[in-house]
Parts: sequence; C-alpha cells; structure tokens
Amino acid sequence: MLRYILWRIAVMIPTLIMISMLVFTIIELPPGDFFESYVEELRAIGEKADTQEIEDLKARYGFDKPAPLRYFDWVANFVQGDFGYSFEYRMPVADVVGDRVWLTVLVSTVTIIVTWLIAFPIGIYSATHKYSWGDYGLTLVGLIGIAVPNFILALVMMYFANIWFGTSIGHLMDPSFINEPMSWAKLKSILEHLWIPVIIIGTAGTAGMVRRVRANLLDEMHKQYVTTARAKGLHPFRTLIKYPFRMSLNFFISDIGSILPSIISGAEITAVVLSLETTGPMLIRALQNQDMYLAGSFLMFLAILTVIGVLVSDIALAILDPRIRLQGGRTK
Amino acid sequence: MSDHTPAPSTHFVSSAPFDPYLVEADNDKSGSHASQLRLTWWRFRRHKLALVSAILLLAAYLAITVIEFLAPYNVHTRNVDNIYAPPQQVHLFHEGAFVGPFVYGRTMTLDMKTLRRNYADDTGDVQKLRFFCRGDSYRFWGMAEGNVHLVCPAEDGEFFLLGTDRLGRDVLSRILYGARISLTIGLLGVMTSFVLGIVIGGLAGYWGGWFDMVVQRVTEVLQSIPSIPLWLAMAAIMPADWSPLVVYLGITFILGLLDWTGLARAVRSKLLALREEDYVLAAQMMGAKSPRIIGRHLVPGFMSHLIASATLTIPGMILGETTLSFLGLGIRPPITSWGVLLTEARTINVVALYPWLLFPVIPVIVIILAFNFMGDGLRDAADPYN
Amino acid sequence: MMKRRTLLSLMASAAAFPRPLFAASFDNEPEPLRERVAAGQLPAMRDRLPSEPRIVALDEPGLSAGQPGGRLRILVGSQRDIRYIPIFSYSRLIGFDRHFQFQPDILRAYEVERERVFTFHLRPGHRWSDGSPFTAEDFRYVWEDMFHNKKLHKGGIPTMLRVDGKEPRFEVLDAVTVRYSWDDPNPDFLAELASPVATRLMQPSAYMKQFHPKYQTPEKLAELIKQQNVEDWVALHQKMSRSARPENPDLPTLDPWVNTTAPPSGYFVFKRNPYFHRVDQNGVQLPYIDEVTLSVGSGDLISAKTASGESDLQVTNLDFSDYTFLKNAEERGTIEVKLWKRTQGSRVALIPNLNCTDLVWRNVFRDVRVRRALSLAINRDEVNKAVFFGLGQPSANCPLPESPLFRQRYRDAWAGFDPDRANALLDEAGLTRPAPRAERLLPDGRPCSLIIETTADSGFETDVLELVTDYFWKVGIRVFTHVSHRELFRRRLLNGDTVMTLWWGLDNGIPAADMSPRELAPTTNDQNQWPLWGLHELSGGGEGRPPELEEAQALLDLFHRWRRAETFGEREAIWHEMLELFTQQVFTIGLLNSVLQPVVKNRKLRNLPENGLYGFEPTSYLGVYMPDTFWFEKGA
Repeated sequence: MLRYILWRIAVMIPTLIMISMLVFTIIELPPGDFFESYVEELRAIGEKADTQEIEDLKARYGFDKPAPLRYFDWVANFVQGDFGYSFEYRMPVADVVGDRVWLTVLVSTVTIIVTWLIAFPIGIYSATHKYSWGDYGLTLVGLIGIAVPNFILALVMMYFANIWFGTSIGHLMDPSFINEPMSWAKLKSILEHLWIPVIIIGTAGTAGMVRRVRANLLDEMHKQYVTTARAKGLHPFRTLIKYPFRMSLNFFISDIGSILPSIISGAEITAVVLSLETTGPMLIRALQNQDMYLAGSFLMFLAILTVIGVLVSDIALAILDPRIRLQGGRTK
Repeated sequence: MSDHTPAPSTHFVSSAPFDPYLVEADNDKSGSHASQLRLTWWRFRRHKLALVSAILLLAAYLAITVIEFLAPYNVHTRNVDNIYAPPQQVHLFHEGAFVGPFVYGRTMTLDMKTLRRNYADDTGDVQKLRFFCRGDSYRFWGMAEGNVHLVCPAEDGEFFLLGTDRLGRDVLSRILYGARISLTIGLLGVMTSFVLGIVIGGLAGYWGGWFDMVVQRVTEVLQSIPSIPLWLAMAAIMPADWSPLVVYLGITFILGLLDWTGLARAVRSKLLALREEDYVLAAQMMGAKSPRIIGRHLVPGFMSHLIASATLTIPGMILGETTLSFLGLGIRPPITSWGVLLTEARTINVVALYPWLLFPVIPVIVIILAFNFMGDGLRDAADPYN
Repeated sequence: MMKRRTLLSLMASAAAFPRPLFAASFDNEPEPLRERVAAGQLPAMRDRLPSEPRIVALDEPGLSAGQPGGRLRILVGSQRDIRYIPIFSYSRLIGFDRHFQFQPDILRAYEVERERVFTFHLRPGHRWSDGSPFTAEDFRYVWEDMFHNKKLHKGGIPTMLRVDGKEPRFEVLDAVTVRYSWDDPNPDFLAELASPVATRLMQPSAYMKQFHPKYQTPEKLAELIKQQNVEDWVALHQKMSRSARPENPDLPTLDPWVNTTAPPSGYFVFKRNPYFHRVDQNGVQLPYIDEVTLSVGSGDLISAKTASGESDLQVTNLDFSDYTFLKNAEERGTIEVKLWKRTQGSRVALIPNLNCTDLVWRNVFRDVRVRRALSLAINRDEVNKAVFFGLGQPSANCPLPESPLFRQRYRDAWAGFDPDRANALLDEAGLTRPAPRAERLLPDGRPCSLIIETTADSGFETDVLELVTDYFWKVGIRVFTHVSHRELFRRRLLNGDTVMTLWWGLDNGIPAADMSPRELAPTTNDQNQWPLWGLHELSGGGEGRPPELEEAQALLDLFHRWRRAETFGEREAIWHEMLELFTQQVFTIGLLNSVLQPVVKNRKLRNLPENGLYGFEPTSYLGVYMPDTFWFEKGA
C-alpha cells in the first residue's frame, strides 16, 4: 500500500514537469505578447499608448530574454510561491485571483452536489426500469441538457429570469455587494443568482453521470451475489441499496479526479456569458490578452490540482476497494 | 474375438450420402452460426430508438451531398429589403379554397421610433411555392453551376420558412449549408482521434513497459489541462492567410488531436486484459508479429465497443466546434456552420427581438441526440456480455 | 529659476487672497460632506473653492442648475475602463467647450503670444483633492524632477512639448503663474492640452515627493518600494502617479470625482472631490452627483443590463444594433434612450496599403484611378440601408457637417455609385478583363484577387465586407476576407503583408482649423494607408521611408506649414488645401459617417444633451458636455 502511494507520488513529478513545459509553450505560441495586445486595444478605441512606459515594462520583466531562460525563471518563481505579475491588472497574480477562487469553488461544489442529487435517483430508476418509456424519457431530458450549447442556454435563461423574476442580469450577486464583507443580505443575493449557472453547468454533467450510474449499477446488478440475495428473499430495494450501490460508490471516488479541473475553472464559457466572478472568465481574458504570468500560473495551478486530485482519488480508491490494492492498479 | 456387430437399429437411417455443411449453412436463422457483425445488427435492430436515429443520421449525411438542391436559396443570397424578417407560415387554403402550398406576400414598414422593421402579411398576395424549379444559381460543391432547387419561392416572391437574418439571408438555407460543415467536422475529427487512439493505445497496451508509462503520463498531462486554453493556443497559431478550407481542416485536426486520450485509455486497458488470453499466446507461438496480433486478433474483439465509444464522441466534436466559434476561433464567415450561425445569434437582441435566429440550435440537438441514441444502441448491441 | 524660499512665501501669500462672497450657507454643503465640515475636518465650501472658481453658467436652453446628491451607476467591460472617468470628467488646464472653443478650465486665464509664448495663470486658493495647495510648484516639480530626470524619462521630455526637436523654456513667474516659451510656433499646444488624454504638466508634488529620492530618505523609499511590490523607485513613482487610470486612491486629483477603491475589484466607487474648482451660476460647488460607481462585467451583457435599468448613464459598450432593444425597454419606465452622432470621418473605411510588399498591388494602388474606381464601385446607399437602417450619411472620409471645415464637395468626392465609370477607370488603369464579365487581371497576369483584412470584432464589419465583395465583383475584382487578431493585424500591416484593410476613417471628424491636421498626412505608423511613410516622420527620419507619391509628400509639406502657421486664416487655408487633396486622391475609401450612437440615461438625470456628438476626439466622449453638471431630479 505504502509502496503504491510512494510510487504514484514519484511518478507525478515528471508529469508536472511536462505540464509546465506544455503550459509555457501554450502561452508563448501565439505571436505577439501582452504589450502588443495592450497597444492594439488602446489603438482600437482611438487612444495612444504610452510607448515609453511599455518599453520600460518590457525590459523590466525580461521580455528581451530568450524563451528557455524565461521558462526557468517562471518555474523557479512559481515553486517559491511567486506567481508573477499580471500586466492587465498591474498587480501580482495572487492578488488578482484572490476572491474568485472561493466563489468558483462555491459554484462548482453546489453544481456537483445538485448534479449528484439529480443524477442518482434518475440513474437508479433507469437501471431498474431499463428500456422503459421512463428510462428513455429521462435520458432524453438529460441529453438535451448536453446537446444545447451552454452559451445559448445561459443567454436565454438569463433573459427570461430577468423578465419573469426580475433577477439582475448575470453575476453571482448584486453589484453593490461585490466589495462588501459577507452578510446575510449578500448571501441571499448570491443564492438568488446561483441557480442559473448551476442549472446550466449541471445539465451538461447530469446526463453523463446518469449514464455512468446506470451502467455501473447494471453491471453490479447482474452479478451472482445479487441473484442469490433475491433468491434468499431480500427485499428488492434493500438488495439494491445494500450491495450494488455501495459497489458503485467507488466510481464516485474515481470521478472526483476527472471533475476537479471543472471545479476550479468553473465551466468557463457559461461563466463568461453570465459574467460570473469566477476564475473562468479571468483565465480566458488572460489567454486572449496574452497576460502571460496570469494565464500561465493559473493554468499550472489548475493542472497541479488535477494531478493531485487524481492521485487522491486513486489512493482513496485503493483504500476503499481491496481488489485494486491487491491487483496493484486501476483496472479500468 | 467377440461378435460386436451392432444390432439393427429400430429407427430409420438413410443411406444417401450426407454433407453436413450443405444442410446447415443456408437457412440457419437461429443465430448459432451468424457472424459477429450479423449478431450485432440483429441486436441493434431491436432498439427502435437507436434504429430510428441511425436512419435519421444516414438521411442527414446523404442530404449533405445535395444541399444546394434542397435549400431554397443560395447560402450567400441576401435581400436588404427583408432584413430580420420573421418566419413565414405555409398555408394550403386561401379563403376556403385549396390552392396548394403557398405563403402570403408581406409588406415592411419601418418604425422610426424604435428603428424596427415590422412585417405584415398581405392576404391579397398569394405566392405559390414552386417545386423542382429554377431559382438561385449555385456552384454544386463549388464546381458545377446549377440552379435547380427542390422548392423555391414564387417568381419575384419570397419564401422564408425560418425567417431571415440581419443581412436578409434565409435562415433555413443557411442551416442546411451549415449542416455540411458541422456534420463532417464531427466525422473527420473522430476519425483522427480514432486512428490516434487505437494506434497509441494499442501499442501501449500490448507492449507495456516503458512505452506504456510514457503514454500514460502523456495522457495524464493532456487530460489535466483544461481544453479551452489548448484550443485558444492552437487556434491562435493558425496563420491568418490560410484559406478557409484549410482552416476548417485544421480545426477538425485540433479537435481530434485533443480527444484521442479517452479512446487510447479504453483500448489500452482492454488490451492489457486481453493479451493474457490463450489465443494471443497461440498466435505468438505461431510466429505472428505484434501488429498482426493487435490488428487481426485483439482489436476486432472489441472493435464494436470502440465504434460505439467513438460515435458517442461525435456530439462532443460538434459542440466543440460551436464553442470554438463562440470564442472566435473556429470556422469563420463566409463559411457557414451551425457554430457560426449560433455565434451570430448570441446577443440579447436576438433572444428578445429576433428569436428565430436561434433555430440552428434545433438541428444541433437533434443530431446530437441521434448520435447518442445510436451510440447507446451500438454499444448495447456489441456488448457480448449482455 | 527662483529660490525655494521665495516660492514658499509667495504661496503663503496666495493663500491669503480674498474670496468673493457667495451665498454660501451651511445647508449648501452636499450631504456626504456635512458631517466632516461640522466636525471641523473639512473647511466650509467657501473656503474649499479657489478664490476665483470657474463659473459654469447653466442657462443655455436645455440646461438648468440643479441640486447636489445622488449616485450615478455606470457599467464597464473591464477593470481597465476606470480610465474613462478622467476622460469623462474632462478637467483640463484648457478645454473645449461644447462649441469647440478653447476655454480655460483649471487655469483662470492664459495668454498666447505669437503662438510661441504661453503664459498660464492658475486660480489662487485652488487645492488638490486632499487639501494640499495647487500652485506653480506642482508644475516645477514635473518639469525639473520628472521630465528632466533621466531615470523617469529616458527619452527626455514628451514629444508634444518639442518643436523642431527643441525644448521650451519653462519659467515660474509667481506662485500662480507659469510660462512655456518656444522659439518657433507651437500651434498644437493648446489643442494637445485640451485632448482627452492630455500630457500632464502638473502633479500633486506634496504627495509625490515622498516617492522621489531627491526628497525622501533612502530607507523610507526602500520601505515604500517593498510595500508596493515594485522593483525600484522609478516603478514606484510611475505606479503612484498614474492618473490616466486612477488606480491609486491616495493620489490627489483635480477631477470632480476621486477613486476610493483600490484594484483589483469588480466595483469601483468614485466620491466627490471636495476641492473641485467649478461652481454653477448660483455658487453651488460642482459636481452635483455625490458618487459615481463603475461595475465591471462582461461587455456583451452591458446592453442587456442597461435595458433592465442597471445603469444610470451608459455610452460605452452600446452599439447601434442595440437600439431597438433598448428603446423597447424604455417602456419599463426607468431609462431613456437618445441617439447621438458619432464623430468619425467615416464609420468604416477601406484603406489600401500604399506600402505593401506585393509590388504589383502596390503600384496598382498608387494609381489614383484605381482608388477612385473602387470608391465609385460601392453602393453606399445600400450599405446604409442594410447596416445602418438608412440613418447614416453616405460620404467620403471627410469632416462632418458639424465641423466648420465641412464642404459638400469633400463629402461627394468620388463617393457616388457609378459602376460604369468605375469599370472605365479600371480599364484605363490597365487592369484588363479577358472576357466581358470575368475577373480582371493584374499587370503581371495574375487574377485580381484582393484580400481585405480586418479585425472584425463586431458583426457589422463582416456585413459591410459581404456587401463590398459583391460590389467589387461587379467591377471584376474578387475579394477574400481575412480576420486576424489585432496584434497580428498590426504586425502584418507594418511588414507590408496586408494589401487592403477595413478600418475606420478620421478619428476626429469635427476638426476646427486650430486642431492638428496630422491625420491627413503621413505622420505616424498608425495609419493603415502609409505606415512606413508615417514612421519616417514619427522617427524624425531614422526609420521607414519618405513619401514616394508626390501627393503624399505634398500633404506632409502642408502639415509642416500648418505647424508654422501664425494666424488662424493661414491654418484654415492649409486645412482646406489638405482636405481637397486628401479627398480627391482618395487615399482612404470612406463609406459613410454621421452614424448614430445610442446613449442611455436614467430618466431622472438632467443636463445631458438631447443630441450630442460622440467620439474620443475632440469631445472626450462626454467630457465637453460636463458630467459634473449632470444632476438627479428627485421625484421626477
């Protein structure tokens, strides 16, 4: 067991290194750099950029150094906790990201919980009533959730929520609360605004989860021990819950690993359309503006979280499921 | 020596020559000798929904070849007198008498206060639709000139079944032309990821060892990075002076390139399990090389499963294309795809005032549902353990 | 240069100048300030104003004096957009009034002698927003300790202060008077000071000195550097003094509103400046509005939010295509939608690149017949109808009727729709057509395939290009459109890789003779039609190439003559010569101007004009209309 954990951790390092190189390349690839974007943006609205200041900034942040040097600088700083400087916001990256992270976590956690709450009963129903109209109907509804592009759904829902319920457009809370400390009023405002993004992001994930629950449950339900239990007179419901259900729980644990990227980046497109104060829009803007440190550091952060998440879920799975431990690895 | 001649049997035994293969081969419908493919097909047929979906998709892909004929207008035709026109209703009866399919002509008035164009039906102006008629000229697949359409508006009339957009272009025609791009992107992209997935996953699963380790790390890396930044980066480096067609191929390639990991993992795990099987051992002993073993013995065993998985990723590609368009990176005008149409429609003005521009969502939903049902059906049918 | 002690004593005496008597009673104090005044933390209004404040007479029709109070909510698309507030506020040494006449604003008065010597008189008793006195010392600080500090300004003083490369003489005549003198005329100077983002000749020296090694101990400086997370004192000084983007809440300002929120934030609150120097005709200190808030969100949502009443004054991030939606929302009763006119010389323009590396196309475009033909091939009426609802004005790229320099013949120069004549001109120019309706051929035999590049962020540019593609096809030129990101676009332009671009026309479409005609001549590398010739001028001859077309050189010569012109009449004559040449030569193909821009306001907001002009230069967006005079009518 311990060997397994240590092995997995050791193997994580080269992965992270490869990721950092890939991230750096991604940021560097598009031609131009932040300063050109900045000058262009000013020019596009008819203003003139202060070219002197820009030249100074460029020299200061070593943009005249060759790429490999900059890469090492960046990695060295990153490891020490200095995530660099955002040119768009003109302040350290850590300050920029700040608040957004916990809001992202909030949105994503609520979305996942809601998705689970919806997907589970549907999945169970689907598995037990396979090929019935109910099964098809629910699958259909779930699939529509996937099929409609998120940004259209977000736009339409936002518009109608405003017309019918008077919900203010976009954001996670009323603008006047943004800088205020947490209070009941602020919380209420957040909850009022939260349900739209949760529904939109959640519908995309629900169908997939329903299908997985269904498949896992079906696999379990056809096993011998279930038949034996039924034959011995156990009530069907208990049969369902007591054994197969717990078996399929382990898929949750393994799912966490794959869900983690979406937790933090918070369903970027929806967040952009709805102008949520999560990290998604910030990341996309940083990428479009080639705000190198902000985009690069944040991507790196996301990737690290994912890798750690997968590691944690693998370990949890190993603890939970003796078969994996004994067979020495994931079987799927 | 004992006398062991068999006693005469009490039942009739024919002495005519008997060839077992002749008897059985032809009319065996019980399924005991059917090939894998046949079995799959029979099981697939039983899922009505999947069958319907498959037929629908086949029809859609066939229709793509003759889009120019099916669309009432050319994709670029614009009519500045009919900007933002709402959909027209097709009537059959005019003042009680059966006339055949027709639409009413419309008059447009400009509301100068709100700067809005208002269209009103002119019940006196009956415009009968023509079928198999000559209408807008087009270049069939960009090559041959033609102008025969399935349905056209009346001479000097209009027929906007789904309304028009901000340049007066017919939404229905644009959706039809867009189908060609959107449907094929999914297919090409999936083929790319399919090939990559099988080759890389197959080799990793079969050989194991360090190659497997490297592939595993690479897939982990690709799966850890959020897809959108990867798209942004790759699309941003596509040179600006590539022709739209090359851009299109580039996009399909990108979409496929970022998707092969899932398939590779599935292939790899299946192979890891299967390579211990006896038949593989037998083949190895008989001197078969790795590619042959993988290609001829292992992969066909779960090919149908793979196809089912692949089918289920096509919707992802179609949606990926719409997302790329949203970010401004995908197909761009003048090439039309559903993603382009939806991106043009993603303003609040459209939702509030011109909702018919959101119609392209419907074919997207239908096609994605169809692929999903068909894929589900395929997977259930191909699964030998059901 | 006078001694510091003398300066200080003069400042002290300036503070003792008599103040005019206004009916300033305690109740006139705006509500947010009452407490502080009562507690003695803030002087009374009478003492906060300079002895001679700027009196803004709100007695023109449509304007009225108002009452203080209220919060103005504005929506912006990014945090960077807090730079709009100094632009909207338009508090300048000298500004334009709404009739585009020069008007001393921060300055009490100014004198100009032969366009060479500019004497500025400050208002005695004028203070920065933190209460520190605003005097000539603030100008001296900038001149000596900033412009002439090699570390802060590596390249020397800003270019706009140089005439023929030479610096002016700067003198402090007394605590409230400074003078800048050049040997040669500097006709641009006042217009530069009145521009939306003007060079700052003054800084709050009392505050800024703590960041300057000349006035601050090295230890304290090091501490501040660390605190602000910058690398050295230069970065520190720049960061703390940045006023174009008012991110430093502690930086004193002369604007009507002061930022109180430090970034990063999604919500910025600007509070009134208690020491603002303007009053209305009743002696009430401006601004009327207590607070201006900026709410940051996605740019696409702004029109939706404005329609649902979340904005009290919205001019940015709204487009003509949003008008119907906004107008419908008027029925809900909270907002009112107006249509102002955009001031660009042409809302979109097709600009051939006379410096492109494709020599064949380059020579084709240098033939004026080709440019004229392309201009005649465009059906501007149809573009107007299709894209702008018929409400724009088909025109060449030239000033609008609102400008005193407007002439009908500039607008009509080669701007009609005459495809036959276009075809004839193209035939004359040597672009032959192998068959009657086939694609034309370039002189070297290649087909005439024109690639028009754009950054097309919004839909209407692609729409225009679709229409243009059709029009050009009818004269035998096949058009391909390319969309690129802005940086790539600009790089391609500078490298000469672009053949023709879609951009906008003149930035300042309502110029007066006193404003610089630099847009008409090759003066910067920003200009899409001749980036290299412009670079040559900008770099003082070091880079780029001198103009190779004699008409372009003529424009440049005229521009230089304007800079040396000493009388208004001369300048006006030169402008007209340049406009005539510019429009007849069709260096840019303008399509239409006078396009409308929706401006949305809260129904209760007063003093916003019914019809205004919208643009960056010279109106500074809302600047010349003075947002500090806007007020909320209660109970309306």
